[in-house]
Amino acid sequence: MSNKENQIKTVPEIKDDEIIVIKGLCKSFHIGKKTLNVLKNIDYVIHKNEKIAIIGPSGSGKSTFLRCLNCMEDPTSGSIYFDGEDIADIHVDINKHRENIGMVFQQFNLFNNKTVLQNIMLAPVYLKTKKAGGIFAKAAVKKQIKKEAEETAMNLLRRIGLEEKANVYPSTLSGGQKQRIAIVRALAMNPKVMLFDEPTSALDPEMVGEVLDLIKELAAEGMTMVIVTHEMGFAREIADRVLFMDGGVISEDAPPQELFNNPKNPRTKEFLSKVL
Amino acid sequence: MNFAEEWSAFWRLFYTNGGYKRVFSEGLKNTLIIAILGLVIGIVIGTLIAAVKVMPKYKTLPRVLNAVCNIYVSFFRGTPIVVQLLLAYYVLFPLMGISIGSLNTCILIFGLNSGAYVSEIMRAGIQSVDSGQMEAGRALGLGFYPTMLKIVVPQAVKNILPTLGNEFIALIKDTSVVSFVAAVDLYKVFTEMGNVNYEYLAPYLMMALIYIVLIMMITLLFKLLEKRMKRGERA
Repeated sequence: MSNKENQIKTVPEIKDDEIIVIKGLCKSFHIGKKTLNVLKNIDYVIHKNEKIAIIGPSGSGKSTFLRCLNCMEDPTSGSIYFDGEDIADIHVDINKHRENIGMVFQQFNLFNNKTVLQNIMLAPVYLKTKKAGGIFAKAAVKKQIKKEAEETAMNLLRRIGLEEKANVYPSTLSGGQKQRIAIVRALAMNPKVMLFDEPTSALDPEMVGEVLDLIKELAAEGMTMVIVTHEMGFAREIADRVLFMDGGVISEDAPPQELFNNPKNPRTKEFLSKVL
Repeated sequence: MNFAEEWSAFWRLFYTNGGYKRVFSEGLKNTLIIAILGLVIGIVIGTLIAAVKVMPKYKTLPRVLNAVCNIYVSFFRGTPIVVQLLLAYYVLFPLMGISIGSLNTCILIFGLNSGAYVSEIMRAGIQSVDSGQMEAGRALGLGFYPTMLKIVVPQAVKNILPTLGNEFIALIKDTSVVSFVAAVDLYKVFTEMGNVNYEYLAPYLMMALIYIVLIMMITLLFKLLEKRMKRGERA
């Protein structure tokens, strides 16, 4: 307990416009006797309303970096400050913070045993009911929470034009539809940040557009987001900053025009010459 | 005695003299009670053990629980059910001064035994669910247990339903050993019928027939259940 208090006290001063502050982030995996250092001492600051695209060759640690931001991977060392707490600290209640950090996966990961509407409503209803007293909450309160969540969910579905799919199961949807629903499922929690882990990599080419359009829309609304992507055109279009990761470090960090037009790092040049 | 005579002698015992009443009211009833309650206890215990096995193991408590579960599973899978019944009924329970009757002992031991098997079935089922499902739940801010309960376990149960049906069938057939501890099941009733004339062919054939019909019905039941659960996801 005292340990926890100490940890919270040592939070450095974070400016109002800084939403995630990463300090000395390291992540290593143990495979047998070998230790694989995937992230090597990364420092970075993500500001409010910033759109950050992360590009880089496979194995460069970009997905791991993204997954560390909401502790889907527990950082080996280092700190990630979000909402005034170091979420890399194992004593911090990570679930509370994850409510505010939306995440979209490459493989969509819609809940297969729930309908589209239930997929979107599940987390908001469960968490709000829990805060209202869990199973001891009054029936009227529960009903109200459910009603509100359903309204939000239907509005979100209407926004992506899929309201007629509200009561179907995910297995009947196309990849593009699944991913758009996965995005609004994250939005239903009203997150402060959205993390996208290669959101279009598992899609058929013709469906990439609809998903990117939705992300662009979010970007235009001012959502803070971090996107790991292989869509260079998309990164150039929406990102405020593009990070090029290689070998577990951020080897170049610049606005898109600069990074794509005159990359400084030779490794970036080489990578861009291959993908562009 | 040829088979026709044997059969008519058995039929007199079984039907005319009302032996079938005992078959159904005691033999079949006890067989079903032991198997069904055994399976229910087994599912409860098995799910708990499987939950312990898939728990994140950062802390000490899950590790201790895991060790306990391992011992439990290796004992109940490592010894024949007859040995477990004999140990419980003639050794352990008398030593501890517990007397719960042979039927209850059987229910308990069958439950504990099937718990060990169901735990492995359940664990395999949980692990067969794509890890992305758990990740998605956790990323939304749901805890480990709510995600398990609402997302992973329902999908796991659907996946393991055929195997669970298998376990139930195995349990029903295993009940034929309960006469070791003086419980009355189908086997016991038909053996007693055979003891009247010292002719066992006809009674045992009848017993086999009842087992087969019973198990066919259970197979059908699980098939229907499976179909019903699948329908949900296609709609």
